[in-house]
Amino acid sequence: MTPRWTATGLSQDLPKAVAMAGHWQGQDLAVWRSATGRLQAWNDRCPHRGMRLSHGFVRGETLACIYHGWVYGAEGGCKHIPAHPALTPPATIRVAVFACVEQDGVIWVAPADTLGAPTALRGLQPLRSISLTCDVAAVLLVEPALSGEDTLRGLVQIAGQACEVCLLVQHGASGLTLHALCAVGADRIAASRWLEDLRRRAERKGTA
Amino acid sequence: MIRLYDYVLSASCYKIRLMAALLGVKLKHEAVDFHPGRAHKSVEFARLNPAGTLPVLVDGDLILTESTAMLVYLAQLLGRDWLAPSDPKSAAQVQHWLAFSGRLAASLGMARLHDMLLYEGNIDAWRAQGHAALRELEAALSERRFAGGVWLVGDAPSIADIACFPNVALSQDGGVSLDAYPSVRLWTRAVRALDRFVEMPGIHRLHELHPAPEVV
Repeated sequence: MTPRWTATGLSQDLPKAVAMAGHWQGQDLAVWRSATGRLQAWNDRCPHRGMRLSHGFVRGETLACIYHGWVYGAEGGCKHIPAHPALTPPATIRVAVFACVEQDGVIWVAPADTLGAPTALRGLQPLRSISLTCDVAAVLLVEPALSGEDTLRGLVQIAGQACEVCLLVQHGASGLTLHALCAVGADRIAASRWLEDLRRRAERKGTA
Repeated sequence: MIRLYDYVLSASCYKIRLMAALLGVKLKHEAVDFHPGRAHKSVEFARLNPAGTLPVLVDGDLILTESTAMLVYLAQLLGRDWLAPSDPKSAAQVQHWLAFSGRLAASLGMARLHDMLLYEGNIDAWRAQGHAALRELEAALSERRFAGGVWLVGDAPSIADIACFPNVALSQDGGVSLDAYPSVRLWTRAVRALDRFVEMPGIHRLHELHPAPEVV
């Protein structure tokens, strides 16, 4: 069974007051962090005209749609419609909210009613998120030291040294994304080059 | 006054408008009917630029037809901070990114011209080359971030950043998403957050840096 918590990005790539695109099992999400640092994941669609809210902008504790500026606050409720400044938006104008937590420098999403927490990843630091045009099988084929299905782990050789790595698998409409972590204290530039090399080798081996 | 032969939707022309704005210099704009008029391919325009490309920068008897050369000229003339440090490594890195910006124009830029202005050509190949270039940029910017940096070369924004920014920021006009490139996205935000940044159609400023209109 696919775990409900899915990694959709790394904390380092989502500073305060920034929105980005994420997804949970094919469902597009707007993942954003408020000015005070509160993290949220919503359906990536403005109820007004369907624009992606991940293209929007954060002001304080709200996310505004880039198209007509509709403003959404905590729990996805519409707070303000610029074209009707005197109107209190009805409570029915609401964006679907997902569960969103960050742990070990990874941003995880799940349906709103999900209980429990994602698996803890000890002794690892976030590296990079990369997309690939091949499937997981090709990655495992070119790097036999890795094993797993939704979480690929193993001790690999990076710049001549054994290094623990962890690749969190995310499947999306546009292909495979790996959110990579490496051992705390490892040289991240060397690890990033290893990751680039792994992608090139895996993509040459086979496409999904 | 320095004159810029200009087209509002051109990524390369915007490169020069942005650089001039960041340097705080006013240019005299000569609008060229690039589309649909194709005025840049006219006999008259060929007297100025035989290659028939935009932008063209004219200062006295100097005529420049390559946008990266214009960036060097404007920065040398008006703001040498934008040239990046002059040590051998930094100087070479600036040249790398100026040349790389040509690859962005030849891939992401062509995909955009295909989708927006109906240019004919191999759209799949342009998009694939665009993604290949974005992967290189993402890897380089990620390494810069690991070292505590934000910009392509050195500790401050330079002509290297300005040369690469327009076609990257406009990539979605050509059907190439930046969703898979987090370091690239944060870098485009850093450029848009610069003092005196100017917009073009398809590249908006960071609204969150300004007060909401109704509370002004």
